[in-house]
Amino acid sequence: MMPDEHTPFRENIPAYAIGALDGKEVPALQTHLETCESCRAELAEYRLLTDSLLTAIPPKQPSAALRKSLQSRLPSAQKLARPSWTFSLRLSRLALGFAVIALIVLNVVSLAQLRQIQMQQASLMTQVENAQTVLGLMSSPTIQMIPISGEQASGALLLDKGNNKAVLVIQNLPDLTENQVYQIWLVKSDGGRDTGGLFRPDSGETYTTKVILSPQSISNYVRIGVTVEPAGGSDAPTGERVFRVEF
Amino acid sequence: MTGIDESKLIAQVAQGNESAFLALYDRYVSRVHGLTLRILRDPMLAEEATQDTFLKLWSRARQYLAERGPFLPWLLTIARHVALDRLRLEARRPLPSDANDPEEMWQQLPDLNSTAEETRWRSVYFAVQSLPNEQRHVIELAYYQGLSQSEIAEVLGWPLGTVKTRLRAAMEKLREAWNES
Repeated sequence: MMPDEHTPFRENIPAYAIGALDGKEVPALQTHLETCESCRAELAEYRLLTDSLLTAIPPKQPSAALRKSLQSRLPSAQKLARPSWTFSLRLSRLALGFAVIALIVLNVVSLAQLRQIQMQQASLMTQVENAQTVLGLMSSPTIQMIPISGEQASGALLLDKGNNKAVLVIQNLPDLTENQVYQIWLVKSDGGRDTGGLFRPDSGETYTTKVILSPQSISNYVRIGVTVEPAGGSDAPTGERVFRVEF
Repeated sequence: MTGIDESKLIAQVAQGNESAFLALYDRYVSRVHGLTLRILRDPMLAEEATQDTFLKLWSRARQYLAERGPFLPWLLTIARHVALDRLRLEARRPLPSDANDPEEMWQQLPDLNSTAEETRWRSVYFAVQSLPNEQRHVIELAYYQGLSQSEIAEVLGWPLGTVKTRLRAAMEKLREAWNES
């Protein structure tokens, strides 16, 4: 190659090595480098120089946070993040399970409370109905008020044979166990008995009011008796008699 | 750290060894960050570029071939490309006030308590410092701002021929200093 052809390319080698040669001049130089060993050697030397320009910059320490940030991008940090996510998911599922169980328990408790309230409501309704019956009886011109005394309780039997109604209003009834009830017996003149209903003393009330459920006309009976019977009642008196009332 | 240790570390990084990667980070981060900060002139952008450089090292460590040259220039070449790409990306933003003041760049003395292996880059550092201002200016804009000779001419308002002459003169002086070191 003639020197006058070689020189223009050689002058561009420093700019090429440092990356400042304009794009339109690069292809021609690269083509020349393919065939010019001395220019390649010179370029290699300038490359070492540009490498040293990189390292010639004074070091600067970045913030400590950069290292942590970089570490968080590494696979182990990603894996660590995943189990904690899984762990929290497991925790969430566990918490959800507990929440469901708690809801079920809460529902059961609520249902029990509701059931208790319904029973209390039913009891109050019965008391109200009994009271209304008593009031109704009190207004009847044919009412009989037969006192109950002696034995283990006191009170009165309100009897209205004309309207076929009878109500017991009693106090001082002996306490019952959970498996016991009071049972009313309607007794005929021939000694035959029909059950007139079961009851327990009204809790928290001084008086217990009980409407007698007569299967026949109340006039067919001559007295009533009340005994303590097993829960659910009996076909015939089996327990202790609490009191009796003659019509 | 010896060269052998460094080669082992790089090989370990290529196999996904995070401890080796962090060891290389600890050793070279100040060099990488010095360069990205010099190019970008913005600490936040420079840290992002530094992080991107090391993430590239993590993913490309197996591409490094020791027979082609030392590790640090290879890593710093990645850092330069990352930083220049970022610089072009941020070109729409206003340049920092000293972006066209490369004089400032060489005013800071490096740590004089460095090891013997850094003697050569120090000689280049001082050679750049000793360049006439207009030549140093051209080197700065070309290498650390990624501008071509035509772009330098436009930025500085100099004739293209003047830029070419000054750049060539600067490079020849630096090459002499490099060869003498």
